[in-house]
Amino acid sequence: MNGDNSSSSPLIRVEGLRKSFGDHVVLRDIDFEVRPGEVVTIIGASGSGKSTLLRCINLLETPDAGHVWFHGDDLAAEHVDVNRLREKIGMVFQGFNLFNNMNVLDNCTLAPVTLRKMSKAEAEKVALEHLDSVGLSGFVRADVNTLSGGQKQRVAIARALCMQPDLMLFDEPTSALDPEIVGEVLEVMRALAAKGMTMVVVTHEMSFARNVSDEVVFMDQGVIAEKGAPEKMFTNPEMPRTREFLARYLA
Amino acid sequence: MAEAPDQSRQSGKQGRFARFVLADHRYVLLGTSVVALLGMQLSSQPRSTLSFLAHAYALEVVLYYVLVAWLAVSVVAFVIKLVTRRRYATVSPFTRPKSRHVLRVGSYVVWAITLVLFVDRVVLGIAATWQLATTATSRPSDSFASALYMLWQGRQIFWTGITTTVELAVFGTIIAFFLALLLVFLRIQQVDRPDNDLVRFLKVVGSGFAKVYSAVVRGTPMMVQAGIIYFGGFGIMRGTGLSTTEINGIWSTFVAGLVTISLNSTAYMMEVLRGGIESVDEGQTEAARSLGLSQWQAMSKVVFPQGIKFAIPGLSNELVINIKDSSVLSVIGVFDLMFATTTVAGIYYRQTESYMIAAVCYLVLTMVATKLLSKFARHFDVKAGPVMGTSDAKVVKKPKKGKEA
Repeated sequence: MNGDNSSSSPLIRVEGLRKSFGDHVVLRDIDFEVRPGEVVTIIGASGSGKSTLLRCINLLETPDAGHVWFHGDDLAAEHVDVNRLREKIGMVFQGFNLFNNMNVLDNCTLAPVTLRKMSKAEAEKVALEHLDSVGLSGFVRADVNTLSGGQKQRVAIARALCMQPDLMLFDEPTSALDPEIVGEVLEVMRALAAKGMTMVVVTHEMSFARNVSDEVVFMDQGVIAEKGAPEKMFTNPEMPRTREFLARYLA
Repeated sequence: MAEAPDQSRQSGKQGRFARFVLADHRYVLLGTSVVALLGMQLSSQPRSTLSFLAHAYALEVVLYYVLVAWLAVSVVAFVIKLVTRRRYATVSPFTRPKSRHVLRVGSYVVWAITLVLFVDRVVLGIAATWQLATTATSRPSDSFASALYMLWQGRQIFWTGITTTVELAVFGTIIAFFLALLLVFLRIQQVDRPDNDLVRFLKVVGSGFAKVYSAVVRGTPMMVQAGIIYFGGFGIMRGTGLSTTEINGIWSTFVAGLVTISLNSTAYMMEVLRGGIESVDEGQTEAARSLGLSQWQAMSKVVFPQGIKFAIPGLSNELVINIKDSSVLSVIGVFDLMFATTTVAGIYYRQTESYMIAAVCYLVLTMVATKLLSKFARHFDVKAGPVMGTSDAKVVKKPKKGKEA
């Protein structure tokens, strides 16, 4: 939906990324890029390396080789200040990972107050805006442990947005949710995409991949087997492996 | 004796005993018969000099036969139960509402009589022995009286010992807690990507030091550590040219003991803290780091505040352990409760009695500490774990969630 941006230079460029856990090779020479405003979904079977690829982008996993170019810096280089670069990359996890020792508002203000040297009041004002945009303005003082899964995930999205990131990474954001509350999280993500946020989403929600994303990446056994526009990927994939995978989901 | 223990499942709040007495029908005849037997047994004990029933012999005879009568009634009820079995509830005269009421009142009378006999024989008996022990000019031959005599005669020695033990345990635990905080901070350092070479080197050295410290301290007995610290410290001070009396003024056995117990407990507390920190879900760190927080910021603002909660039961356990383990410090001559015990035992040539006194003192100290600590833990909204365990108990780690690639 932001296809007009596709001519600009990429916001993030992954080059020759390799990662293995012991003898198990998870990523083999991944090349991939995301342009500003683009929504890229990564699909693929469990164990195909999609989560690891996402976690390599903000260095939660250290790649064995390759480069992750972001704002002209190589995140994968030694001694690079990843903390500063991560401030601009928001991440939403499958297991929410809200800070259990804080309430909803403090979850959102911790990073801005600590890293942006914002005053508490200023940070709270920003946080309230984002909590409002995910429909949780009534829960600001709530203990995070009392929230439902869908609410937790929306708080997690608001928390990431409070740092005003240039890029948002979603690692299977709806996989831990009951089917009936998946929708509320996808709705928030859809709205975020409509506002022009650059997003990389690892998901099993094929309707989201098809309707919201600008590009779909299919991963299989540590390589990008195929990528392209969602229409083409879902109606006429080239690779037999892609067809096989999608057939199981779209049946 | 009667049927239907089903009334007993009323509330989970009352203790088992209270439920039995208040709600279980079996209590009235069967339970009270045991109490009556106990009362009769007490009545057959010799009277002490303070016994008031000694002046009311007739009263005691009456009380005794009331208990006998109660037993007789119980036996009759039991025989009826055996004969009628299933029909007991409807046939027996003991199950009518009126006789039930009378039996219940009777059961209270049995309790009261037994209580009177208990006070007369046991409480006043101990009081009489205490009176005898504290006024005696030489140690009585009776073992219990002799223990009380030693406790009285050695009261100042024991008191000094108890205060020293409490001081060692309390101050040692507090000092150890702060040292453990420092040490665990070193222990959990991991090389992070933005670190320069100097920081990396310091982190590796710090974490290695903490590991070695923990292994050495936990791998050697505190008795040996006490010897090394006391005599080693003494030797070092001698090297500076101080005289023996001057050194004794600075490096007293108490100071050496306090240093030993603090350094020893530090290692255990560090492991407890580390266990607490490691049982915090890894996702918490990941979420904090993904927002751009540094390793230290993520630790201090997110992980540590959660980890310390997991660690509080183990940390408070250390105080209880230190109360008991400080006893080994008597080997370098610290005047703690153990030293007091051996001193008193040496004066009166009675070992068993002396150690029994020590056992009771330690038990009271640890029970008081446990009680206070569980209150303290509740204040922090933490469930206290088993507190009487040993410091070698393994830290239970939560299984890590499998990562999906």
